[in-house]
Amino acid sequence: MNGSLFYLNLVMNGLVQGLVIGLAALALTLVFAVARFPNAATGDLMTVGAYAGIGVQALNVRSVIVQGAAAILACSVLAIGQYWFVLRYLRGRGLVSLLLASIGLALATRGALSFFVGQDQYLFNTPIMRPYVIAGLRVQVVDLWLAVASLVCVTATFAMLFLTPVGRRMRAIADNAELARASGIRMQRVMIPLWAAVGAICGVAGMILGIKTVVLPEAGWHILLPAFAAMVLGGLGNPIGAVVAGILLGVVQELSTPFVGFTYKIALSFIVLAVILTVRPQGLFGSAEVVR
Amino acid sequence: MLSYLIAILIVTGIYALLTQALNFHYGFMGLINFGHVGFFAIGAYTSALLTLSGHSIALGFVAAIVLAALSACPLGLLALRLREDYLAIVTLGFAEIVRVVIVSEDWLTRGTQGLANVPRPFASLGASGQEIAYLGLVVACNVLAAALIARLAYSPFGRLIEAIRDDETAISTLGKYPAGAKLRVFMVGAGIAGLAGALYAHYITYVVPDQFVPLVTFYVWMAMILGGVGSLPGSFIGAAILVALLEGTRFIRDLLPGVMEIQMASVRIFLIGVGLVLFVLLRPQGVMGLRVRT
Repeated sequence: MNGSLFYLNLVMNGLVQGLVIGLAALALTLVFAVARFPNAATGDLMTVGAYAGIGVQALNVRSVIVQGAAAILACSVLAIGQYWFVLRYLRGRGLVSLLLASIGLALATRGALSFFVGQDQYLFNTPIMRPYVIAGLRVQVVDLWLAVASLVCVTATFAMLFLTPVGRRMRAIADNAELARASGIRMQRVMIPLWAAVGAICGVAGMILGIKTVVLPEAGWHILLPAFAAMVLGGLGNPIGAVVAGILLGVVQELSTPFVGFTYKIALSFIVLAVILTVRPQGLFGSAEVVR
Repeated sequence: MLSYLIAILIVTGIYALLTQALNFHYGFMGLINFGHVGFFAIGAYTSALLTLSGHSIALGFVAAIVLAALSACPLGLLALRLREDYLAIVTLGFAEIVRVVIVSEDWLTRGTQGLANVPRPFASLGASGQEIAYLGLVVACNVLAAALIARLAYSPFGRLIEAIRDDETAISTLGKYPAGAKLRVFMVGAGIAGLAGALYAHYITYVVPDQFVPLVTFYVWMAMILGGVGSLPGSFIGAAILVALLEGTRFIRDLLPGVMEIQMASVRIFLIGVGLVLFVLLRPQGVMGLRVRT
């Protein structure tokens, strides 16, 4: 096989991997910007989405759209539930309390899920289609659809953030929570849509992850660390940076596989993080931190 | 029954050592370390590898402490200059990297097979004498670590630590260098975690990568919060409650007929998660927590 084509195909694979990391990092960043903590439950939320899709498939519903809708619904309900019953009470208690609570939620979610679904792996039955071959570069049709789905998801998130009143309030809270409250923005009314959006993003990310790989109770957890890395790389709290950094990490991970082997993939995202943070402490796209 | 009790006490002692180290990091200095298990793993593997290649157990212990502390150095240099929330994420990644290296570099660590037949000290004392002597060693290590932390906490260096924790900007305008103090605290705590790793490896007598998953870090965080953040006696109480909870979930199996063994693992993870959430919600100051931290 032609050398450069081999790497181009790796880049293609990496782009789809990167979209999953990017979406997860987007969900993390939204929570980090508005609620101010790294939400460790994000990965397991994605797992729930993937299993919701599998559940619908088990009912003999073939449509990926319906499966995806079920995933989005399940994740949104769970995310809002996690906020309403636990995280809501921890506001203002600092990063560590919230991080620990989210780890607890992640473990509880994974425990409950794996109790019912077991440790067996599940697969999405995507129709097998002949890949497009453009100048020797193989492009899977499924990958194209997944890319479209994640683009729609990212676009919808940005539309919400930048075009709607609730998005404006979210950005106001992210910018300065005290000032936002003083100017009459109600936390509650912003947090429910926020967690619904986080759930929806996790649902889409979980479906993509499930379709590209296999569905396992630990699947989402393994995405969490690269997603954390992407969030920091993108400049904490910067949604565009998170998505771009996630895609970059995905591509770098895939490209490195022939050199460092499969197992070092997770490690790699942190080595990239370490290297970039020594040069640019504010992340790739973050603006310099203002001293508070 | 007595040997079960001694075994439980030894495990509690190892967790207490880890909790003390984390308490030194977070309770005294405010360092958000989510990669504790990484230092624990480095300690365990260092001592196991050295003793298996014929060196003495004492050398293994010393090397475990030194190597774990040294591994904290680049990590600390990188993260401590940055915002404090970065440290949580960087350390979490560090612990996973340690585990991935252990899994991948099987020429050294035998990968997922792990290292078996790690020698246990005090073999000449007979089966029960060996257990009791080992318990004595664990207790001695705990006392030493507690003495070291207390000595540091009540020294001028300890006052510097507290001042940095309370107001970093103010202390740096006084000409102190916060990052340096933080790095030293980070390395000392990592060294203690490495010692705990060595104690664990020589007690269990085998090490595999699966013993060093992020869940262990979360257990230690739980123990620290249970016992009270910033309280040294709390570290022991927290570790005792944690081990009681972990051992207690074994007996839940009898209460749930018809649940298969593989499902019990799920039930345990679920209960640990719910427990973590409930403690953060209901008793953030812990059993012994007196210091009010904001």
